[in-house]
Amino acid sequence: MNELLEVDGLVVDYGRARALDGADLRVAAGRTVGVVGESGSGKSTLGAAIGRLLPRQARVEAGEVRVGGERMLDLRPAELRRLRRGRLGFVFQDPIASLDPTMRVGRQLRLVLGRRGDVAAHLARVGLDAARVASAYPHQLSGGMAQRVAIALAMAASPELLVADEPTASLDAQVREKVLDVVFALAAEAGTSIVWLSHDLPAVARRCDRVAVMYGGRVVESGPAAAVLGAPAHPYTAALAGSAPAAAAPGVRLRPVPGRPPVLTGPSPGCAFEPRCPFAEERCAVERPAPVRVGEQDALCHRAADLVGELEVVA
Amino acid sequence: MRLLLWWAGRALSSAVTLLGISVLIFAALRLMPGGFAETILGPFATPEQKAELAARYGLDQSVLAQYGHWLAAVGTGDFGTSMISRQPVAAELAARLPVTARLTLLAVAAAVLAGVPLGVVTAVRARPGGGGGAGRLLSGLGVSVPEFALGSLVVFVVSRYGLQTTGYLLPAAVLSIFAISATARTTRDAVLGVLVEQHITAAVARGETPWFIVRHHILRNAAGPVLTLTATITAYLLGGALIVEYLFNLPGVGSYVVQAVGRRDYAVVQAGVLLAAAVFIVMNVLVDLLVGLVDPRLGRRA
Repeated sequence: MNELLEVDGLVVDYGRARALDGADLRVAAGRTVGVVGESGSGKSTLGAAIGRLLPRQARVEAGEVRVGGERMLDLRPAELRRLRRGRLGFVFQDPIASLDPTMRVGRQLRLVLGRRGDVAAHLARVGLDAARVASAYPHQLSGGMAQRVAIALAMAASPELLVADEPTASLDAQVREKVLDVVFALAAEAGTSIVWLSHDLPAVARRCDRVAVMYGGRVVESGPAAAVLGAPAHPYTAALAGSAPAAAAPGVRLRPVPGRPPVLTGPSPGCAFEPRCPFAEERCAVERPAPVRVGEQDALCHRAADLVGELEVVA
Repeated sequence: MRLLLWWAGRALSSAVTLLGISVLIFAALRLMPGGFAETILGPFATPEQKAELAARYGLDQSVLAQYGHWLAAVGTGDFGTSMISRQPVAAELAARLPVTARLTLLAVAAAVLAGVPLGVVTAVRARPGGGGGAGRLLSGLGVSVPEFALGSLVVFVVSRYGLQTTGYLLPAAVLSIFAISATARTTRDAVLGVLVEQHITAAVARGETPWFIVRHHILRNAAGPVLTLTATITAYLLGGALIVEYLFNLPGVGSYVVQAVGRRDYAVVQAGVLLAAAVFIVMNVLVDLLVGLVDPRLGRRA
C-alpha cells in the first residue's frame, strides 16, 4: 500500500506533561481517516506534529513523521515550507481566529492564490457568494462562513493531505454537516487524503474509510470505520461507542466511560486505560501492550484476542 | 450621524479636560511660595513698588477674577503678555515651537525606524522560556535611566573633550534612547502576542516564509499598542522636553516654560502647560482614529 503519512512511535512532551506516548498512524493516499479521542487524548498534538506545527514549548522526544516519504522532523526550514505549501493543508477548530482579523477575506485568498488566482471561483467552490464575502472582515462572518473561507485557503493548493482538527466543534449543529460536506467533496475532487480529528466516533465512522482511536497519547485501535464502530477490538473503543449520544436508543441511559482520562508525566508503565478498564488483568498495569491484529483492526490491548465477541456496543 | 455624535462627544470631553487642567495650573501657580514682584524687583523693593507692579498686571485682584479675565482672553486667542519680556506669549511660544518640533521629529523618527525593527526581530527570534536576554536588559536600562542623568553625562563627556554641545543631534540622541527602548519593548510584546494567534499558525501551515508572515499578518495586527506609544511619546516631547532642552540650552518650548516657572512668569507657564495638555488630547484622538483604521474590529466600536 502506498502510504502518504506515516507516524511511528511519536513521543511529545509539554514541559513535564506527556502528550503523545508512542503514537502510530498510517494514512494511504486518497483515503480518509478519522482520529477519535477525548480531550487530552493527544489528537490535537498528533495533528500539529504532522505539519511540524507544535507550539514552541513542545518537545519531540522520540519517533518519526513521514509525509510522502519525507522525514518531517529532519527537514530544513525551506524544505519544510515547500512541503507544507505543496502537500499539506490544515483546518483548525476556531475558524474566525484562524483568519487574519485585520485583512479582508478576498485579500487573504489573493495572498495565497497569487496574482492570477481566481478568488471568486475559490469562494464559490466552498459555497460562498464572493460578491458578499470577499470584502468582509473575518469578524463580520458567521462561524460557518469563516470555516468555509479557511477551507478554501487550506485547499487552494490542492494538497495531498488535509489535517482538520475538530473543524466543526465550534459551529452550530445545522451548519456542521454542510461544512463537512464541503470538506469531503473538495478532498474527493482533488484526491486529497483527510485526517479528521474529532471526539465524535459515530460521525467520523459515517464519513471516513478508516478510524484511529486515541487514548493516553497512543492510537489504541485502528481499522476500517465499520469494523471499529461495529465490532470494537479495544475495551476503550467499546466504551467510547457506548457513551456516544447517537448510539443510544431513545429512553436508554447513556453509559459514560467510568473514571477520568490519564494525565501522563512520562511513559505509561502499562496500558493507560487499565485503571478504567473492566477487563484489566495484572499485567495490564505493568506491561505496555504491543499491537495485536484482531479481525481487520490493530489494537493495543493485552486481552484483545480473548475479548473477541465479548465487547459489544450497546445500541 | 453616529460618527458626528462621537466627534461632538470627543470635542466636549476634550474641552472639559482642558478647562480642568487650566484651573489646576492656575491654582498651583498662585500657591507657589515667592511672587512675581520679588523676582522682578529684587529683595529690597518697597511695598509701594510691589503694589504698583501687581496692579499693572492685575495681580491685586482675587484669584477667581484673575482666572475669569484670563479665560475670557484665552477664548479669543490672547494668551497674555510675558511679564519678563513684555512680549505676547502666543508669539513667543510660536517662535520656539519649531525648535521643539524638530527635536521631537528626530527622536520619534529614531524610535520608529530603530525601535520597531528591533522589537520585531527580537520577538520573532525569541526562544521559549528565554526572557529576551541582552536585548531585554538593554531596553530595560534605556527606559529606566532618567533623562537628566543621561543628558548630564553626555554634556559632561562632550564638553570635557572640548567638543560642541550645540545642535540637535546630541539632545535628540538622549531623547531617542528612551524612545527607542520603549518602542522596541512595546513592539516586541505586541508581536509576541500576535505570534501565538491561530491565524499565524495557519499561515505557517500554508508554508509562508517568516518575512512574508511578518509583513502581511503581524505588522498590522501588532500596530495598535505601538501607535499608542508613539503618539504618547510625540505628545510628551512636543509639550516640551523640559530637562533635555534646558540641559542643552535649546530655545524650545520646554526650556521657555522651565525659565518661566523660575521667574513666576504666570502667563507663560499657563500657556505652556495648556499647550502641552492640548497636544496630548489631540494626539489621543488622532491615535484612536488611527488604531480604528488599522484594526477593523475596533473601528466598529468607536
